[in-house]
Amino acid sequence: MVIYLKSIFTDAGNLILFTTRFFREIVKPLFETHEFIKQCYVIGYKSLPLVAVTGFIMGLVLTLQSRPTLSKFGAESWLPGMVALSLIREIAPVITALICAGKVSSGIGAELGSMKVTEQIDAMEVSAINPFKYLVVTRILAATLMIPILVVFADAIGILGGYVGFNIHSDVNMVRYNAQVFESLDFIDIFPATIKTFFFGFSIGLIGCYKGFTASNGTESVGKAANSAVVLASLIIFIIDMLAVQITDLFF
Amino acid sequence: MTKDNGFTWKLGMFVTIGMLAFILTIYFVGKQKNMFGSTFLLKSHFKNVSGLKIGNNVRFSGINVGTVDAIELITDSSVVVDLLIENDVKSFIKTDAKASISSDGLMGDKVLIISSGTSAKESVKNNDILASKSAIEIEDLMKSMKKSLDNVALISEDLAQFSHKVNNSKGALSKMIIDEEFSNSLKSTLINLQTSSDEFAKFTTKMNNGKGALSKMINDEKFSRSLDSTMSNLQSGTKGLSENMEAAKSSFLLKGYFNKKEKADDLKKTNLKRQSILKQKKDSINRIILKKDTIR
Repeated sequence: MVIYLKSIFTDAGNLILFTTRFFREIVKPLFETHEFIKQCYVIGYKSLPLVAVTGFIMGLVLTLQSRPTLSKFGAESWLPGMVALSLIREIAPVITALICAGKVSSGIGAELGSMKVTEQIDAMEVSAINPFKYLVVTRILAATLMIPILVVFADAIGILGGYVGFNIHSDVNMVRYNAQVFESLDFIDIFPATIKTFFFGFSIGLIGCYKGFTASNGTESVGKAANSAVVLASLIIFIIDMLAVQITDLFF
Repeated sequence: MTKDNGFTWKLGMFVTIGMLAFILTIYFVGKQKNMFGSTFLLKSHFKNVSGLKIGNNVRFSGINVGTVDAIELITDSSVVVDLLIENDVKSFIKTDAKASISSDGLMGDKVLIISSGTSAKESVKNNDILASKSAIEIEDLMKSMKKSLDNVALISEDLAQFSHKVNNSKGALSKMIIDEEFSNSLKSTLINLQTSSDEFAKFTTKMNNGKGALSKMINDEKFSRSLDSTMSNLQSGTKGLSENMEAAKSSFLLKGYFNKKEKADDLKKTNLKRQSILKQKKDSINRIILKKDTIR
């Protein structure tokens, strides 16, 4: 029990050290722009189809599921606003972050883990390339900046899905639907949700890199790194979400 | 670097579209709040804004034309509300337009409604102050409702008591309603009353038109005048008679009789006095006895 707890706290301490190292390395000059752009492409653009499909389905399904309850109150006209609000405030950020935790975090974990296992990272160090800067900083930064953009796409496509779902049972044109969506929105709905997506992205990149970078030798650990990266990233996303919502609720 | 072009443009497109969507959302939400575009400011003073919030809609003729920009307390009973209103409707809002607060549907937000003024007046300028109508508060409504309901309760209670009494008591009203005999007798009484009043009517018509002494006394002026003169003659006659009586008192033949009468009167008076004195004495004795009792 004590050993188990100790291992957990050691893990947490290592993660904190890893994070501080990231912040120390990021301010150092010689930024790996080319690798950063490539990682942005991999994390952002390559995840777009997946995020788009989940976003569309979430919007569609949320509309269909909320309709019976709202029509019981005769408030069907509030459906677009309600779906847009719940998508933008909560569902699109969390679903996108979870999808990306599955795709990006595990990908980074497996990639860096296999590099670590095959001693490519050590080879980098020997050839005077800072592996932390080249591999970790670029990936974490790319994830931090790309996840919010993916969330914006998920919002937009989810609202489109809501439009499709709304038109299954009733008939409303795009202009009126958009007007209803924007009528219900406020800056309070948009900014806290957007700010928390940066933290989601950061934690996705960080956990993936940490798990991969600290993988022990042996091919078995590669799979372990990928697996635990997904689990931990998903958990941390929910914890951050809870904190963010509580803080938002406190101030507004 | 030519090798990289394959993915750079895709990344660029991805980021650009994402940013554009975000900025557009911000713009449209801001437009909803009248943050962009040309607007002007109107003010209005209220005693009570009943939950109006910054950002609530302003309606003119049922159209959303602006938003509430600020709500500030200026004195202990006066709130100034700043309204941001689109420039397009400036010419339609006249200086005598009135602002009032009502709610949007049963559960909806509060809205500020500008009711249109008379078309003859000038249109408003920037920073003008609109007159306000105090809205009917639900609380006031409830208060007056409660009052009237209380009254209704009192009235119905009285009514219940009244009807109970009517049903169960033996008063005239209940008898009138319940007792058949009573109502029959009432009916016959009324019939009698009718016949007697008919008779009376006949009598009065006779009196007005007839030539009997009574009718003459009332109607005939000549007769009444002659009656008057008769009466005055009678008066002077009685005067003479009383003079005669005085004279008779002093004549020696009747003096004895009058003296006797005077003496009898005196005796009566002295008897009365004695009786009153006796009564007083009795009272004082009683009082003394009572006092003694209380002392014991």
